[in-house]
Amino acid sequence: MPLISTRALTKRYPRGVTALDGLTVEIGEGVIGLVGANGAGKSTLIKILLGLIPATSGEAHVLDFDAATQGERIRERVGYMPEHDCLPPDVSATEFVTHMARVSGMPGGAARERTADVLRHVGLYEERYRQIGGYSTGMKQRVKLAQALVHDPRLLFLDEPTNGLDPAGRDEMLELIQRIGRDFGIAVVVASHLLGEIERVAGWLVAIDAGKLLRTATLGSFTERTGQLLVETEEPAGPLADRLVARGLQAIADGRTVVVDLESGAHGDFAVFDAVRDEVIGLEMALIRVEHRRHQLEDLFRTGGGDERAA
Amino acid sequence: MSALPEPAGTIYDIGYRHYEGPRLGRRGATGAIVGAGLRAVFGMGRSARSKIIPWGAVILALLPAGVALAIKVLAGDLIELYSYDSYLWNIGGLLPIFVAAQAPELVVNDMRHHVLPLYFSRPIRRVDYVVAKLAALTIGLLALTLLPLLVLFVGRILAAEDVLAAIGDEAGALPMIVVSGLLHAVTIGSLGLAICSLAARRAYAAGAVLAVFLVGSVASQIFVEPGGTFGALAPFLNPLSVLDGARQWLFGGPVAESPVSSSGAPLYLYGLATIALLAVSWGILAVRYRRITA
Repeated sequence: MPLISTRALTKRYPRGVTALDGLTVEIGEGVIGLVGANGAGKSTLIKILLGLIPATSGEAHVLDFDAATQGERIRERVGYMPEHDCLPPDVSATEFVTHMARVSGMPGGAARERTADVLRHVGLYEERYRQIGGYSTGMKQRVKLAQALVHDPRLLFLDEPTNGLDPAGRDEMLELIQRIGRDFGIAVVVASHLLGEIERVAGWLVAIDAGKLLRTATLGSFTERTGQLLVETEEPAGPLADRLVARGLQAIADGRTVVVDLESGAHGDFAVFDAVRDEVIGLEMALIRVEHRRHQLEDLFRTGGGDERAA
Repeated sequence: MSALPEPAGTIYDIGYRHYEGPRLGRRGATGAIVGAGLRAVFGMGRSARSKIIPWGAVILALLPAGVALAIKVLAGDLIELYSYDSYLWNIGGLLPIFVAAQAPELVVNDMRHHVLPLYFSRPIRRVDYVVAKLAALTIGLLALTLLPLLVLFVGRILAAEDVLAAIGDEAGALPMIVVSGLLHAVTIGSLGLAICSLAARRAYAAGAVLAVFLVGSVASQIFVEPGGTFGALAPFLNPLSVLDGARQWLFGGPVAESPVSSSGAPLYLYGLATIALLAVSWGILAVRYRRITA
């Protein structure tokens, strides 16, 4: 049973903006990256899944509850860390997180106990008794994470959790997210426009663009081999490509690189490697590298969102 | 690997523990907001300075009841300083001060620092949040609008020579005490919260609340003097005289100093005006909180 499933989910805002456009997706356990450019519909999707805003059409289920009618049941078991600042400056982290635990429906004693636990898990110690107003951005992000975690949710939505953090803070936050997904057994949906970060924490990716599902798959399959060989040479690679094509291979030159289709070799990969070697020697070229070409996460958006940017 | 000593201050990670206990849902969550709101209203868990106005107001509101009881005990029924009818009108000035000081605490920072999305992502609805805040302020106001009159009521019975007879004498006032106390607390609480919900900072909210009541009070006193149609409508400028008029409409018992007595406007109009005040306040709150993006 997926933790989240949507079917033809569409959200149109009054002024004609379509934030989600027939999105159908299923999301399961682990750390899931929800990637897309700013404005791709990530935050809108999270708000619909939390039952905070209604969808224009389509359905969404979270933990088997209908987001349109059972929002309260969902929100009791789900944690949410918004993108923007959301902390009052004049209370301590302990007070604030305890209060938020109680507003999640926890009894007072349990709320205090779990607040202490969770603040320790996110790495706030003595400073938790100080007023939040004096905290650094990194500490505030930790408080935001703690309030999302304090009621022991089954599922966590983190919207751009590394926003405003310096590189060190970013690393710590990503490590924390990984721990939550792996050690705490809480499914985490991380929305981000930073592919490099998502690559580091997520095992599964959901890529959306302009409110449409671009692709959903394991991280590995996003970056798997493409079945092409990338050959980089010191000199312009045109002649090499010509020789390879003459041997019956599919090869395209681009500046100092040639991309050779491995499947086009009649005698398997090794024959292609041999052909490349022989032709490079024959042309007396200097070889810089030969490698299997892999998909890059960015490729997704180059093909998906590229048209729009060009228009 | 050499066995290095653990750095001082290391906290051993005992691992993440899941929570298996009860979850109180929407009702528990709303109750938690009311509870936290009441603490805010009375400055609990805050500096001594933030307790001065709420507790000072409560003490001042109770003072006439205390004085009246003391006189009753010492001098018998010779003089009656404070009647049930005039009590709220006489301490009325404390209500705007209490609201101006404490209502901004309830709503302004949540709005200003964008805390509301954190509330709304929990098992409550938007309306629960508003109702909980209103309940906290109303309960707080009851310490001014109901508690002193109940003290006076109980005190007068206990101070009487024949307690049983006194119960019979006083009991007739109880519905007025309770209904009027509730009506004052709910209406002034709603109006105060609505004004505060529109303010960007706590100081502006406090100023706006004071301005509405002060301007209303002064204007109603000034305009009621010349009489005529204008004078008859003057009490409607002041929420406190509107409420006093509504009380008189429901239970009778005019108060000499209130502009309601000098205006001559039919009393049912005060009832309608009270309903209008509540409707406008709740309307402002509904629109304001619907427009917050989650």
